[in-house]
Formats: sequence, C-alpha cells, structure tokens
Amino acid sequence: MPKAGRLALAVFIFALAFGLGVWGVAAYLRIQPPNVNFTSGHRRGQPVDLTVQTVGSYGHGVHADWVSYLVKGPNGHWVHSTQWELPAHTRINVTVYQYDTGSPLRNQVWGLIRGTGGHSALLNGRRVRLLNSNVGNGVAHTFSVPALGVSVPLWGIAGNAPHQCAAAPCSLRFTHNVIKFSFYTTHPGQFRWQCFVPCAAGYLNGNGGPMDTLGYMAGFLKVI
Amino acid sequence: MTATTMELGAGTTGYRPTATRLAHPWFSLNVITAFLGAAAGYGIGHWIGNYIASNYAVVQSTGQNNVAVVLALFFGVLGFIVGIGGLNYPILKMFGYQPEERAPVEDWTKYFRFSTDHKVVGKQYLVGVIGMFFIGGLFAMAIRTELTNPTTHFFAPDIYLQIVSEHGTIMMMMATSLVVGPLGNFLIPLMIGSRRMAFPRLEAISFWIFLCGLMVILTALPLGGFDTGWTGYAPLQTEAAPGMDAYLVGFGTIGTGMILNGFNQIVTIVNYRAPGMRWSRLPIFVWSMLATSFLLTLATPVLFVAGWFGVLDRTAQTAFYVNTHGGSSYLWENLFWFFGHPEVYIMAIPGFGLVGEMLPVFTRKPLFAYRVGAAGMFGVALLSFFVWQHHLFVSGINPDMRPVFMLTTELISIPTGFIYLIGMGTLWRAKIRFTVPMMFCLAMYFNFLIGGITGVYNSDVPVDVTIHGSFFVMAHFHYTIMGGLLFAFFGAVYYYTPLLTGKMLNNTLAKIHFWWMFIAFNFTFFPLFIVGFLGMPRRVFEYAPRLQVLNDWASASAYMLGMSFLVFAVNFVWSVWVDPKPAPANPWQSLGLEWQLPAYKMPWYNFERLPIILSDPYHYGEREALPVAHLQGVLALAGAGAGGGLAPVGAVGPDPGPEISPPRGEAEREDPRPE
Repeated sequence: MPKAGRLALAVFIFALAFGLGVWGVAAYLRIQPPNVNFTSGHRRGQPVDLTVQTVGSYGHGVHADWVSYLVKGPNGHWVHSTQWELPAHTRINVTVYQYDTGSPLRNQVWGLIRGTGGHSALLNGRRVRLLNSNVGNGVAHTFSVPALGVSVPLWGIAGNAPHQCAAAPCSLRFTHNVIKFSFYTTHPGQFRWQCFVPCAAGYLNGNGGPMDTLGYMAGFLKVI
Repeated sequence: MTATTMELGAGTTGYRPTATRLAHPWFSLNVITAFLGAAAGYGIGHWIGNYIASNYAVVQSTGQNNVAVVLALFFGVLGFIVGIGGLNYPILKMFGYQPEERAPVEDWTKYFRFSTDHKVVGKQYLVGVIGMFFIGGLFAMAIRTELTNPTTHFFAPDIYLQIVSEHGTIMMMMATSLVVGPLGNFLIPLMIGSRRMAFPRLEAISFWIFLCGLMVILTALPLGGFDTGWTGYAPLQTEAAPGMDAYLVGFGTIGTGMILNGFNQIVTIVNYRAPGMRWSRLPIFVWSMLATSFLLTLATPVLFVAGWFGVLDRTAQTAFYVNTHGGSSYLWENLFWFFGHPEVYIMAIPGFGLVGEMLPVFTRKPLFAYRVGAAGMFGVALLSFFVWQHHLFVSGINPDMRPVFMLTTELISIPTGFIYLIGMGTLWRAKIRFTVPMMFCLAMYFNFLIGGITGVYNSDVPVDVTIHGSFFVMAHFHYTIMGGLLFAFFGAVYYYTPLLTGKMLNNTLAKIHFWWMFIAFNFTFFPLFIVGFLGMPRRVFEYAPRLQVLNDWASASAYMLGMSFLVFAVNFVWSVWVDPKPAPANPWQSLGLEWQLPAYKMPWYNFERLPIILSDPYHYGEREALPVAHLQGVLALAGAGAGGGLAPVGAVGPDPGPEISPPRGEAEREDPRPE
C-alpha cells in the first residue's frame, strides 16, 4: 500500500474511533430524564404549583415493575421525569397523588414532616405534622430534599384497597391519598431529592433499582 | 502458503525446519469467527438463563434476570475463545485426535489469530493494552469534564458514577497487564535465551481472555452500568443494576487470563533458561516479572473466588455478602483487598524492572546493587500480602488491628526503598545519555518519589482517618501508578520499538510527547492533593464552589495530558506504519541478550541454537567483561576452543562468535541481514 493510502487509512480509522467515542457519549452517557420546566412564564413573587404522583409500578418499558414518581407538566400532561426546573426564592405548592401501598418505617424519624410551611402537610385535607407508620397503612414513600431541609412522608393506601392502579399515569378514579404542602426554593443550584423509604421491591433490603435511578425515585430540583 | 513445522526439544542442536501446508487464512479461525462465536454464545447463554430463571420470584418482582445476563456473558466469552481457535487443541485431544503441530502463520493476519508465537502475542497485548488505555482515558476526560463546574452538570449523577467506575475498572485491569502482557511475553524468552514460553497455548489464550474481559466490562454500560467504583463494595454490589454482573464476570475473565499468564511466566523463567543463565545473571526485568507473576498467581485467585461469590449472591440468591441473611459485606472488602493490594505491586514492580533494565544502558554503568534490587522486589511481593487492611482503617475494623497494618504498610517502604535506591545508585556520577527512554525513566523516579512519600501519609492511621476517601488518596495513587508504571511503560515503548517492529520512532515527536505528558501529568494531579486536603471526597459530581479553581486547573491540565497521548499515537502510527524508518541494529548499544538478534527478523523459534549465557547484561564500562552470551551455542563454543566463545568484548579470533557489544559508531549501521 502506498504511503498516501496508509495515511488515509490511518486517518479514517482514527476518525471512526473518535466518531464512535462521540456517539457513545451523545447517545448513551448523556441520556437523562427530560427537564420539566416550571420557570418559563413565571412571574417573580408568584408561587409555583407542582403536581406529582407516585405509583407502585410504572407499567411501561424495560422497568415496568419499578415504583416511580411522575410530574404533571405546565401543559397538563403527566411526564415520567424527576428533574424539575423551578424558580429561585419562590414558594412551591406541591400536591402529591399517592397511589402506592405503605409499610412501617425502619426509622421513625422519617415520619416527621420538616422544611415545609409550618412543618406540616395536609393529608386528605387534614393537617398533620407526624405520621405514625406503625399503625394503619404505613408510609409508602418520602419526598426529601436534604439540602433544603425538606422531608415529607407520603401516607400509603391499604394493601387490600380496591381499584389499585397498575400502570402510570394513574387517574383519580383509582384509590389514592392526597398530600399537600409548600416549601421555598433558595438560591440557584441543583438540589437532589430522593425517596428515603427502601421501596424497590425484590431488591436487597429494598434498595437499588428504582431507588438509585433518576426518573424513578430520585431526581433533581434545578433551581434557576 | 507454506510454513514450517517445529521440532523443538533439540536442546542445543540446530533447528531443522520442514514444510507443510496451512489452511487458507480466510478459511481458518480468526477474530471474525471469534466475534461470531461470541454473539452465538451470548444468545445461547441468555436463552438458557431465561429458561432457568424467568419464573424466579426475584426476577418477576424486579424484572432483572441476573442469571440470564451472567450466562450470556460467560457463554459469550466461551464462544469467543472457541471462535478464535483457543480450544482446538484440547477439543481434538478430547475426541481422541492428535492435533497437528503447526508453525504460526507468517503474514499480517497472524495478529488477528490465535498465535502461539510469543512475539506475536506480545504485540497483540501491546495494541490491546494501549487501546484499553485510550478507552479508559476517554472516561477520565469525561470525569474531568463533569468536574469543571461544581453545580452545573454535564452528566446525570448515576451516569457519572458509572463513568468513574468504568474508568477505574478498565484502568486497573489495563495496568495489571500493561507490562506483564506485552513486554513480559515478548521479552522473557529473548532475555533468558528460550525459544518459546513454556505453555504457548496458555500464553495465547491469556491474551484473548484479556480482550474478552475488556469487552465484558464495556457491556456494563448498556446493561445499566455499575455505580460502585472499581472496588465494587457489597452491599451496593448486591443491589446494583445488571451492569454489576458485567463487572463481576469481567473481573473473573481478566483474572483468569492473569492467572494463566503469571503461571506461564513462572514456569518459563524457572525451567526455560538457556545454559549458563544462572539466577545471578537473570536480567532485572525478568526478576521483576518473576515477582509479579507470583503475585498474579497467588493473589488473583482470591479475587476470582470473591467475584464468583458475588455472582452467586446476585443469581442463586446465596448470602455471602448479605449481612441480614447471615453473610458479611466485610468478606468482600477483605477478599477484594487481599487481592487489591498485591495488585498495586503487580502494577508497580514491572515499572521498576523496566527502568532497571534501561538505566544501565543510558548511564553506561553496571546496575547498582543488582542483588539488592531483586531481593527488594521479592520483599515487596511478600509483604504485599500483609497490608491489605490499611484500606479498611475507617471501615469499623477492630481498632487493635489498625496499628498492626500500619506497621506492615510502613515496613513495605523498606524493600521499596531498596528498589528505588538501586536506580539512584546507578545514576550516581553517571554520564547520562538523555535519550527519550531515559527521560521517561528519570520522570518515573520523580513522580514515584511524590507518590511514595504521600503513600507513607496514607499508611499512617491518624492521617488516613482524615484523608481517607478524598482526592488526596486518588492523587497519591495516580502518582504511583500513572506517574510510575505508565512513565516506565512509555519509556520502554520508545526503547523497545526498534526490537518489536524494526522501526525507530520519531525523536522530535517523542520529546514533545515526553515534556507535554510530564508537565501535564504534574499539573493535573498535584493540585488534587490540595483539593483532597481541602476536603473534596472522591466519586462526587458536585463539590464545594470554593474548590472550582483548582478543579478547573486540573481539568484543563487533564485535557492537555490526554492530547499528549495523541502525540504518541500519531508518532507511533506514522513512524511504524505510514512512513517507516528502519531502525539500526541495537540502536541503544545495549548488552542485553534480547538486543543481540533483531527480534523482528527472527524466526518464531528465536534462536537457531540455544545460546550459552556467559555473564549478566550489565557490565557496561568494564573493559575485560565477558560477552553476555555465545549465540552459536554449545557446538560452536566447543569448536572455538577453550577461550573462543569467552573472548572479551570486541575480541577477534578463529571463531569469536557474534559481536555482543559493538562500538558506538558501528552500531549505527543498517543491519545487513536479509529480511
């Protein structure tokens, strides 16, 4: 092979390898759940309403059995994402439709409601400051943002409740609880939030799987 | 195509080749059939796994069938090995056939086949480890990209952890084989005067298994990755995504190759030395390979077994590492580090062996305290089995055990100091030739000094309690392995490329590469000591904003470091393939046996007659020194009379044998032997 041919082949192989690397980064490593934007059109000083739901099984894709959060986008459609863009220094009014069953907490401290207005929440219209998970349905999940000091336990539905939702998004005709609370965002930054109830069924000690996967039981508040 | 069949076992007699026909390359097993075998094996394994376990309760509740993933990967590796022809010999024997002994293929396709020529395997390893290094390096660039900003992120946090884990695992696997694979396999027979490795098929299969291990590790990403770091601690290991299966199977696969390689090299060095190659004449690089091979053979099985315990936990629902079911996650940590710390010396010792081999050549002095150096390598190897719990100082181990392991860890600095000081002794008052390989050797000593001193801090319990898990530890580790082993490796690549390929690398590009790499390396990793001291933990993708300047400096330097390797790649491809320049015979005027014949022109059996070793290869500057060997073997030695083969360097006589150490001017000439 002449020198020019060898050079051309070397350049081609290098370009191919480089292209594969870039493709790998772009096609796989950069994949994240979509950002759901609550900042566009937001007027300074006005609160943001955030509506989410928690389901026992997402019902779609390769992880159909995984427990998951969903969020209602500004256009009113449910989105399978846990990355939400929120305005800084703003009151966030959260409404959670909770469709999953509960269980006793391993650490009762997670039954405390903290970081919200009055350190309390409305559970099906009743104001609560502490949920005792050892009685009743128990706690299904928490919505916890450690860097903001926010942690709210989400009361579970009964294990034998009728009309349990099997696949997201779940409508209000299925058995559910409604939890409402408010908190304030601080300065811009990314704040990880997480469910702290080991709720990954089938995994060792309930951890792993959806518990450490963005889009399911963990996410980010991207405060702008 | 014709080739020769071998008639080995002739001892010191001449070699008598006979001709036979080989199958056409396109109709025999090669890397393409290997990939087809891997694909078929993967599919079969996955099907079997689904057949066995799809109705397991854990599979139904999680949707994650680890049995299928593990079997798919295992059968994929097996299919690859069958496809490359690695099991032809045992399969034929199993069915009662006597396999035909064939000489290796001699055209370029030999590099894509199951070759039993140790020189081909060495080159295959060389390309393999460099490719692995570049892949691992790309992950490093991704890490530094993420760390350019403390709060704005390029990757998701779980993806970042997967990248960190892939980088660590690939680099550790690569570094384990970085010298043992390419240079160990290529050089050991040439240095000890052997025609081959003891077990050529094991040698070949170890390379292809190594390649399979890399591919298995990369499959972790599409399987969901593993976010445990390269240490794979339980219970994270037990809870992780199916990518963890790839980590465990990948480590097991590469571990198998490491054990085979180490075992083969021990047997070769002990049993295949040429007549006269006493232990006291063994090149220091071979000593380093022997010490490393013992570590590979004794430490790696522990990792192998630990990995399969993990696989069983994830598939058969055993509980080796599950505390709540009667197991212990400490078991993994102890087994892992019982391998893991000898592993560090598996990476460090070969680097010292290489520089020990190059220093006398470029100082034109005998290697200082040769025996102390060899003893130091074995001292390090032995002590490395007694230090592993210093990785667990802050894990909650019995506090009474911490001073014990602090002591053993600090003890290991003594034999390490021996090895270091033989280099300093060799450099003392030497007229140094500042060639590119020598510059890499000096840089290696500089870097390792920083890495070694900071290692003493890490071994100290009170200090380790403060800096454990921080960037300080990460910087220390990179200074010892990247600053030590990798600089020695690149020095050796520049040094041995004329022997491997018959071509010289471009000297100007080589110097640019050296200075670029040396400066960028120190700019990258030295600030990370400070970052670690200031409290930044490893494996976090979000950090304190006050550390951004130092992190940005390290990231920019890391990009420069990455680009320095592109200079090397361009130089290597250009000088060896695009515009090759023939290398002169023995361009560095080395006395080493491996340099006395141009290996790239040698037959696959290396020596027409087994050489007679007359001295060690470090008698530089000694006028009355014996040549290192008589290359015509016993017969010619007898024919030359009592002193014929034992003539001093440069002597003439009736049959002086090949000249061992040509004067500098003569050494520059072209090798006149026909290709």
